[in-house]
Amino acid sequence: MRWRCILQVVSILIFILGLTMVFPLLWGLYYGDNGVTPIIHSMALTILVSGGSILLLRGPQTEFISQREGMAIVAVGWTAVGFFGCLPFHLSGEFGPFVNAYFESISGFTTTGSSILTDVQAISKSLLFWRSFIQWLGGMGIIVLSLAILPILGVGGMQLYKAEVPSPVPDKLQPRIRETARILWKVYVLFTVAQVVLLVLGGMGIFDALNHALTTMPTGGFSTKNASMAHFDSVYLDFVVAFFMLLAGINFSLHYQLLKGDTLAFWRNAECRFFLAATVVLTLVVTLNIYGTVYDKIGDAFRYGAFQLVSILTTTGYATADYEQWPAMSQLILLLCMFLGGSAGSTAGGMKCLRIMVCFKYCYKELFTLIHPHAVSRIKIDGRSVPDDVVRSVLGFLALYLGLFAFSSVLLAGLGVDFITAFAAVATTIGNVGPGFGMVGPVENFAAIPVLGKWLLIWCMLLGRLEIYTVIILLVPEFWRK
Amino acid sequence: MKIIIVGAGEVGYHIASRLAVENKDVVVIDRNPEALRRFADNVDVQVIPGSGSSPQILEEAGIREAEILLAVTDSDEANLVACLMAHILSPTTKKLARIRDAAYDKFHDTFRENAPHIDTIINPEIEVVKTIDMLLSAPGAVEVGEFADGRVKFVGIQIDPDSRVAGVKLVNLREKTGTIRPLIAAVVRDEELIIPRGKDRLLAGDLVYLICEDSKLIETLAVFDKRAEPLRRAMIIGGGRIGLRLATLLHERGVSTKIVEKSADHCTRLAEELDGVVVLCGDGSDQSLLAEENIQGMDVFLALTDDEETNILASLLAKRLGARKTITKISKFSYFALMPAIGIELVVSPRLSAINTILQHIRRGKILSAIAIKGERAEVMEAVALETSDIVGKPLKSIHFPNRALVIAVIRDENVIIPSGESVIAPGDRIIIFAERTAIPKIEKILAVKLEYF
Repeated sequence: MRWRCILQVVSILIFILGLTMVFPLLWGLYYGDNGVTPIIHSMALTILVSGGSILLLRGPQTEFISQREGMAIVAVGWTAVGFFGCLPFHLSGEFGPFVNAYFESISGFTTTGSSILTDVQAISKSLLFWRSFIQWLGGMGIIVLSLAILPILGVGGMQLYKAEVPSPVPDKLQPRIRETARILWKVYVLFTVAQVVLLVLGGMGIFDALNHALTTMPTGGFSTKNASMAHFDSVYLDFVVAFFMLLAGINFSLHYQLLKGDTLAFWRNAECRFFLAATVVLTLVVTLNIYGTVYDKIGDAFRYGAFQLVSILTTTGYATADYEQWPAMSQLILLLCMFLGGSAGSTAGGMKCLRIMVCFKYCYKELFTLIHPHAVSRIKIDGRSVPDDVVRSVLGFLALYLGLFAFSSVLLAGLGVDFITAFAAVATTIGNVGPGFGMVGPVENFAAIPVLGKWLLIWCMLLGRLEIYTVIILLVPEFWRK
Repeated sequence: MKIIIVGAGEVGYHIASRLAVENKDVVVIDRNPEALRRFADNVDVQVIPGSGSSPQILEEAGIREAEILLAVTDSDEANLVACLMAHILSPTTKKLARIRDAAYDKFHDTFRENAPHIDTIINPEIEVVKTIDMLLSAPGAVEVGEFADGRVKFVGIQIDPDSRVAGVKLVNLREKTGTIRPLIAAVVRDEELIIPRGKDRLLAGDLVYLICEDSKLIETLAVFDKRAEPLRRAMIIGGGRIGLRLATLLHERGVSTKIVEKSADHCTRLAEELDGVVVLCGDGSDQSLLAEENIQGMDVFLALTDDEETNILASLLAKRLGARKTITKISKFSYFALMPAIGIELVVSPRLSAINTILQHIRRGKILSAIAIKGERAEVMEAVALETSDIVGKPLKSIHFPNRALVIAVIRDENVIIPSGESVIAPGDRIIIFAERTAIPKIEKILAVKLEYF
């Protein structure tokens, strides 16, 4: 482990973050709100500290980054970026104690969307914008952004990319990692701009439209309103947002293929078919379940049922309805959706459809072998056989995910949080969803969680966003041995 | 520039990792996912599992946009079919294939002129025999390459402690050498690559790379106390394809040659094919056999079996028993750095030879040839200065040249000129450039015709 090289890359990431603080600053100057001073201070501090350490750590350029160093850079980088990202919140004093500011920042970068704010609308506009903006940065990944714009990370880029965008089967759209990162960001920006335009056409103000677009594409879910999307109460806006949430839950390499003219790209991909089928089937079940019990009109049942299901399944976390008033079956479906999540290679969190599919197929294979003890069978996705080590890593991931979920929820309950809340808060943070059930339901927030509990959930959010291995490996003693 | 490499073996790996560093788009195709994983983990290239001779896979890899297809799998047949398919799908793509079987030797031109129109056929065995031949003709050289169709040689030599140039500053070198002014391109000292300036000294133990005209090669090397000695007797260990080719060549030169091969069957075949060469059946690392066959009288001992550990040990043994010079064939690149330390002086590698040949064809602009040195950290390139390129018509010092690169020689008509900052390169000159790996993309840009960017 060469710490100089690790810290150097981390400093570069923080430096970029510092530069992006100019965007909320502009909004602050435009509105003349109280966010200007804290943002200027944070920006100065961030740029000075990171710039200083870049100069201090400069040395021969590193050509090769090992897998281990890549993971350390990403894990340390995200923690540090979360810290510098929370400075505007903390220095403004509008967010309460430091843990709240850090929680909000990590919730942003990990695209979780869980908030400790009781009254969102009372916060300065510039700080709200920063809150949405860091979610947008975190969605596609700050390292992927650096890979796209900076030449310096060229060679070691592969290791960083793999640690930040973990996927059972990595997609490389172009021979070079830099081109791949650029394509992903182009698609991401394109969709965000399209959504802003559609939201403005639907009558949303430019500031709100921008904020909501910035938190839809990363499947984040921060809203500028206390009542989240319910505030706008517009069928058109609900469907625009739901549509873009669905897009964000699909593998971005499929978007790229679609934009290149391959119209059947979605259909040919087994995971995408699975994801869309799950969305349709579960939406119908929820709609039928809440029709008559909660909503009298089938139209309303579909509108709220579909929006809420897509919002939770893609791990965005906007709310248009208080689903805690819904029948138990719908609530359970939503809870399980938090685990399922979107597609691999999308900005959604959760376990990812691809892994669930591999797991199902593995179970079927086991059953098949019981019936035909001499059978030789392979797990296939899209007609291609999945290598054994990928299957093993998927099963290991699922076991770790569930194990960490169980362990963390027991810990949270031990800190004095009630049964439902503890269960749902951990599920929603590790899945990067946003709202949970009980004390942290769609109309409540995370302010009432004890301080230690907040730190625990911060850890869960990082685990979920970096897909367990990158974060948990730091706790393995073997990792630190020379 | 997009390059497709079929075959994820050693040659594929080294070519891919070099090209990726130079920001070229590289796609690697191989059947073996394990081999591909090594690429995906360490090199910034795209990998596609599948057969390189399948049209579908080639399409997926983007053969239509590819400038070059490189077929370097272990199988000659697979390489030929990959080129054939590539030719059908995309006739404009330049095709390079590695073909080893001697049965194809006479058909290289046929393949070029008729389908599959392979632009270059690389036979590592032929390349390595060529390298050995050059090493034998340059006394004391540990690495040799040639430019300008052999008129200019590029030689690497080790400075001995008792050499008269040890400890001499470059500016004072001429006092020691008389009329000949050796042109030193680079020095490798303690694994460090140095581009020497006038005030730098040469030290004992340095590996010095120099350029000189072929006709002055012997005199130049004599300056460094490397004297030519006649080659009369040679012993080859290993009767594989390289051994056979070399034995034939040496015999034609009138060298009395002995070839040692372990397998009796192989020996019979060798005896059938070779006339006048002594074929011995036995183990090349067998001391009594070597002693019996007059090892101490050998001018050169060549260990060319397929087992590199055997080669290393046989060479060491031969050296100890009194062979004057040994040449050892080694494939594993990671061993190269160890060789001087354990006393192996001359090393050849079919893979490195193949890589050098392939590189010459990949380089853009008018680069005629390229030689990789010192574990691929740097390259020496020969290029024609085109009229519309950035390099002609102004003094060298005003050309924005990358840091770790240097024009070391200019060949104008028949003369080799050592350029200074004031020298102006004329269109049509051949220039020899030394460049570290990282500087190569910029060099290519400087040499390229400007029109290309419009």
